Amino acid sequence: MPKEIITRKASDNPYFHKDFHIALNYGINYLYDNFGEEAVREYLAQFAASYYSLLKKSLLENGLVTIKEHYEKTYKIEDAEFKINYSPDEMNIHLFASPAVMHIKGGGHPVSPVFHETVLTVNKEICRNTPFECEMMAYNDENGAYKLRFYRRGR
Amino acid sequence: MISCTEFIPAYSELFKYLEKEHGKNAVIDFWNYLSDEFLTNLKELVVENGIRGCWIYWNKTLNEEAADFTMELDEESGEFSITMHYCPSKGRLLKYNHIEPYHNYCEHCDVLYRRVLEPLGFEYSLDRSQTDQAKCRLSVKTINIKK
Repeated sequence: MPKEIITRKASDNPYFHKDFHIALNYGINYLYDNFGEEAVREYLAQFAASYYSLLKKSLLENGLVTIKEHYEKTYKIEDAEFKINYSPDEMNIHLFASPAVMHIKGGGHPVSPVFHETVLTVNKEICRNTPFECEMMAYNDENGAYKLRFYRRGR
Repeated sequence: MISCTEFIPAYSELFKYLEKEHGKNAVIDFWNYLSDEFLTNLKELVVENGIRGCWIYWNKTLNEEAADFTMELDEESGEFSITMHYCPSKGRLLKYNHIEPYHNYCEHCDVLYRRVLEPLGFEYSLDRSQTDQAKCRLSVKTINIKK
């Protein structure tokens, strides 16, 4: 067999490597197994405070529409089925099945028992020190479906 | 939900969290764990196909990651290499203005893949001298191949 060579440019492919969901799941699982549930929440809060700092800034300036647009974009990238009921003071998100959880399970990997924290802790951190709050109304361990409620504090 | 397109900053922040709270050994321990649990597909491909398994594995992952790379396979000499012209992961981290990447982010590629390939009879090396420009070179060589 002669030597084989291939060259690719970044523009040749879309950036979409679903196995990263599996790697994140193992990261969560490692923390959970070695340092406990609180460590999972601490890490995710640190990540959200850092990575989503621009999203939080926009939430402060523009309100809940920021979160709405963020998740519409995220779910479109991930080809997820969802429903969003939006008003400036309250927004309800229903994700019918999580593409992350479905991909992890599809690959035969066990889903971390605290994987839902990647939704709850992250969104609570985004809302921290803003006029808004987030709560998880439902979560399905089988397919990662969830219902999230964002609302203006004091309502 | 954290999109898979947002994984790289989450990964980098995990390394930072582990090192800050539990020291560098915890970071290395996590990489070893991830190699054992997550890279079973690379191991299976190499066990089944020899050094071509590297080609099959990275041909999928690097295309999905939209990497800018040249990959070479010479089965007769037992050599495989990836010249990464621009790593999509490190490149992303370098572009973010609002987050600081883990100081030794690229070391994970050295630990994870070495741990799979060396026990299978391959020499693994990773030139990380240009990772500040999101460039590197990975080589795998079969040890004691018949000439």
